[in-house]
Amino acid sequence: MLNRKQLVSIVSVMAVCAVNAHAEKIRIAVGHQSMCTDTYTAGIVVKELKLLEKYLPTSGKYETAEYDVSWSDYSSGGPITNQMMANKLNFGVMGDYPLIVNGAKFQATDSLRTKYVAGTGYNLKGSGNAIVVPVDSDIYSIEELRGKSVSVPVGSAAWGMLLKGMRDTGIKTSEYNLKNQSPAVGAANIAANKIDAHGDFCPWSELMEFRGTGRKIYDGSETGVPYLHGVVVREDFADQYPEIVTAFIKAVYEAGEWIREDPVRAVDLMEKWTGVEKEVLYIYFSQGGHLTLDPTIKPQWVDALKFNHGVLVQEKSIPVLDFDEWITEDYLKAAYSDLGKDYQMEKDSVVDPAIENSKLPMEIWHSREGISSYASIDEFLIAIDQFRKTGAKLNATYVYDIETGLKLFGKTAFFVKTDSGFTTFLRKPDADKFALEKSGTVMDIESALATLSS
Amino acid sequence: MEKISAIVVRTMGEKLIFIAATIRKDFWSWFVISFSFTAIYYMVLMLGLIIRFDSLPNYVNAYGWIDNVRTIIQSTPSITDTLIIINDEWIFEVGFMNYDFGTGISEWSLFLAPTKILGVFLLGLLIATNYLLLRPKNRVCNDVRARTSVTASGFGALCVALASITMSWVVCCSTPTWVVGLAMMGLGVSTSLWLEPMGVWVNLLGFGVLLIAILSAAERNRSSFTD
Repeated sequence: MLNRKQLVSIVSVMAVCAVNAHAEKIRIAVGHQSMCTDTYTAGIVVKELKLLEKYLPTSGKYETAEYDVSWSDYSSGGPITNQMMANKLNFGVMGDYPLIVNGAKFQATDSLRTKYVAGTGYNLKGSGNAIVVPVDSDIYSIEELRGKSVSVPVGSAAWGMLLKGMRDTGIKTSEYNLKNQSPAVGAANIAANKIDAHGDFCPWSELMEFRGTGRKIYDGSETGVPYLHGVVVREDFADQYPEIVTAFIKAVYEAGEWIREDPVRAVDLMEKWTGVEKEVLYIYFSQGGHLTLDPTIKPQWVDALKFNHGVLVQEKSIPVLDFDEWITEDYLKAAYSDLGKDYQMEKDSVVDPAIENSKLPMEIWHSREGISSYASIDEFLIAIDQFRKTGAKLNATYVYDIETGLKLFGKTAFFVKTDSGFTTFLRKPDADKFALEKSGTVMDIESALATLSS
Repeated sequence: MEKISAIVVRTMGEKLIFIAATIRKDFWSWFVISFSFTAIYYMVLMLGLIIRFDSLPNYVNAYGWIDNVRTIIQSTPSITDTLIIINDEWIFEVGFMNYDFGTGISEWSLFLAPTKILGVFLLGLLIATNYLLLRPKNRVCNDVRARTSVTASGFGALCVALASITMSWVVCCSTPTWVVGLAMMGLGVSTSLWLEPMGVWVNLLGFGVLLIAILSAAERNRSSFTD
């Protein structure tokens, strides 16, 4: 005969077994891109810090849920969409052009849809995309690309930027030789001086500049079309597990906070996770960097996406996309509410680097002592000079383009020396114009440093 | 009218019986040709990639096709969508990963998708059928018809072969698509991608032309109408 204690134990074990037998296993599969910096706050950072796991619901219908979270890394957004169609991925993180293809391809089916549920980050004017020439090239502006060979990954956001940039400049497609090259091939060709110019998305241009093989002649910000990345989720998954979508957005938000809290720590770890040099990542994720981390969906973003869709329809005959059906802020609002954040306030806030970065200090990244800041370019140059005299190794130096507010590597910027000191520029034509107006002299950083001893 | 219809049906029936008899007579040749064609087709694609990009493949991936298809069937309400998605589901991938930047980027790859392999095998069967029908010992059509059949067969085979390509190239958005073949052959990527939705029609056109070529090859020469 069983005693009371044994009976309770047996019933308890049976109860646990019964609960486990009914525990729902929820598979959460995310497709991200570790070679696309703007996706990091919904990709590699959330993955490595296990932020999604932190916010996954554990109460109510999820009380007995068992989560199976998996991450797949892709080199572009196209395959992520394919995998989402086959339901091998629930979430996809990608740039603006692939996002549009994702929404349109799903809407072209009879029964499947995705929802654009959150952004990851943006640059208001379109920085992140850029056109680069070999470092020793005598080309200094987009106007000089007439009659030249220019490569770009066709179908990417950089391709859209190139088309618009050329069109805005008045260069017809027949007036230059457009070649289709992947980022890695383009970067290799720039290094080997095999192509006149290469257009690419983040972080390739800065990668080429940092490695000393390329020089930016045109920044995406000149198109004036915002550059953004975002998160799409299969609608059937979102309908079934809305709380998980909300949890994902909370994770994206915290990833942004984590980066803002200590950008140096963040890029140091991101370099280990992605293989992209931390000095390059710093130009995106530091204060004044190219990327504003912000998951909100702003009306300007919807306009930009509609513009991009027009380009894709014209160039790639992609299906129509009903933006009202595709974009939803419901999950964002729920996530912000749960986190106690003001969604509307963040949605209304837009960072324009030309304004926000105008007062930011120059920076020097000392390999041992870390990053130091300097209020003026003159102080910055003096500091570099002193560091060099001690034989110190400098990882990178950063200045700002006076025209756009973009953060630049000191070694690729154009310095203009006038009576009132130095000013820095991204583009040589801007520097030349400024020098002419102010009776200044245009020079590179080495010449600027040389003026200290003269 | 009834009489004419009866003649047409009888002629078509006669052709089909003749085609079946020709295949039955040389079944193993028919099968080996089709199988070899499929194998050679994928070898040519692989070789094309290696030559075009001047690099040998350095990675392979195998996928759980059956599980994936089960997932697609379970999670796709529309049968049409299900079939379209399964059609693009692959089982094996071999390609070249560039490790110069970051954790690596797949520059190009060749995907093997069972439904596409089946399509190529079907193409092989049709080519083999036409070949058997036009062999001197089996041939019943006249020279003009034979030449027309060969030309049409070649055109149909080219259409199907092109539309069955499952190569991916990072500059063509890294998804396996038939237009990568066109892009690799020098057609502008924009134009190639613009043509992408026409793949189904190119495939159907190819198979249609091949079938007509086969039926044409099975058409008896009037002077041989003695039996």
